[in-house]
Amino acid sequence: METFTREVKRLVPFLLEELKPKGKVLTPFNLISGFIIVLGLILIVIRFAKGLGAVTNLSQDFPWGLWIGFDVITGVAFAGGAYVLTFAVYVLGAERYHPIIRPTVLNGFLAYVFYAGALLLDLGRPWNVVNPIIGNEFGVSSVLFLVAWHFLLYMLAELVEFSPAVAEWLGARRVWKFLSSLTLGAVIFGITLSTLHQSGLGALFLMAKNKIHPLWYSEFIPILFFVSSIFAGLSIVIIEGTISDRVFKDQISPQHHATYEDIVCGLGKGAAVAMFAYLFLKALVFVHGKHWEHLSGPMGFLYLAEVLGFVLIPMVMYVEGVRSREIKTIRAASILTALGVILNRLNISIIAYNWDAPVRYYPSWMEIEVTLAVIFMEIWAFRWVVNRMPVLREPPEWARGEHDVTAEMAKG
Amino acid sequence: MEGFTYVDIFATKGIEYLLVIGFLLGVIGFWAHLARKR
Repeated sequence: METFTREVKRLVPFLLEELKPKGKVLTPFNLISGFIIVLGLILIVIRFAKGLGAVTNLSQDFPWGLWIGFDVITGVAFAGGAYVLTFAVYVLGAERYHPIIRPTVLNGFLAYVFYAGALLLDLGRPWNVVNPIIGNEFGVSSVLFLVAWHFLLYMLAELVEFSPAVAEWLGARRVWKFLSSLTLGAVIFGITLSTLHQSGLGALFLMAKNKIHPLWYSEFIPILFFVSSIFAGLSIVIIEGTISDRVFKDQISPQHHATYEDIVCGLGKGAAVAMFAYLFLKALVFVHGKHWEHLSGPMGFLYLAEVLGFVLIPMVMYVEGVRSREIKTIRAASILTALGVILNRLNISIIAYNWDAPVRYYPSWMEIEVTLAVIFMEIWAFRWVVNRMPVLREPPEWARGEHDVTAEMAKG
Repeated sequence: MEGFTYVDIFATKGIEYLLVIGFLLGVIGFWAHLARKR
């Protein structure tokens, strides 16, 4: 009881101090993003008060729009860097990527929280979101049942993976030791979950055979989604690392700065190999489906632009960048790759979906505004955590000096 | 004696087998190319 009272007396003023803003408040980024967030929150209130029709251009023909196509499906692909990197570090033993594990896992956790949270905006009856958990006649053979459970479990797994950083921030040594011992299990659980729900998001479209253009529909969509999530995640790790290296440069130690080039080249190499495999899979699916006659026309050009312009070209850029250790080329490739993944996901969920319908879906400005608000809220959350917890900076002495349970278990 | 017929590489999924074999051989060369520094 005495220890508890002492801890509360220590933590409460500490937390109140940590709630204060760090750094300048009225920066151009804060003002612009703050305005977008406030407007987005107002639109979200209107959406729940007046219904989807008041804010979106969704309809019976187009029930899934920008919020699902971009926020959920693209956002979760982008969060794939967490499972790829944790696999590389904890399973393959690639310790040189250890410095970027925490920001990547944090990014992945926040992505799932905000983008899966954005899923609530799209539900006609959002109070039914608990049905996959409590039952209530929610179909257990539905792919959505799998996706719902996986999102929940993966968020918990990532929270456990990141929790040692929270314990270090709070100075809770005994809790840190316990949480560190859970890390490896959470990592393995997270990787296992990711392989299925990344492909599960693709499997959501398997039932829409008559609605998706033949160039994008195939029974291999789940495998294509899974493989593309690998290089999508790695590309976002490169982009996020580039931004963090500039914005949070005072937190990164000189030692980690020195390894930055090696890390980026390694990530580029991984992305290039995944894209090589993806291109062959795309070719296989194309030949298997005998889609030659679909190549003419606007949808054919869009398909070729997506595959050649946003997969083949960035793959070649990654190869050239890795071989000549040109970080700028690798960064440019990562941006092109990320755009390509956005294009691919939007093609399947919106553009090539009911592509021949007389009335097409276009997102309203309010949908775009809410999407931007969700992205900026995630960035604000990421910045809040990085400015307070040991994510980019070194952990405290007691966490560094003590026996690193996780690293030892990973080596063993 | 039976007449000579060409094998339809599409009907026999031959081209898909060739793609997979091409990938398996190609990925080795691709990895080696990546690992070589300029």
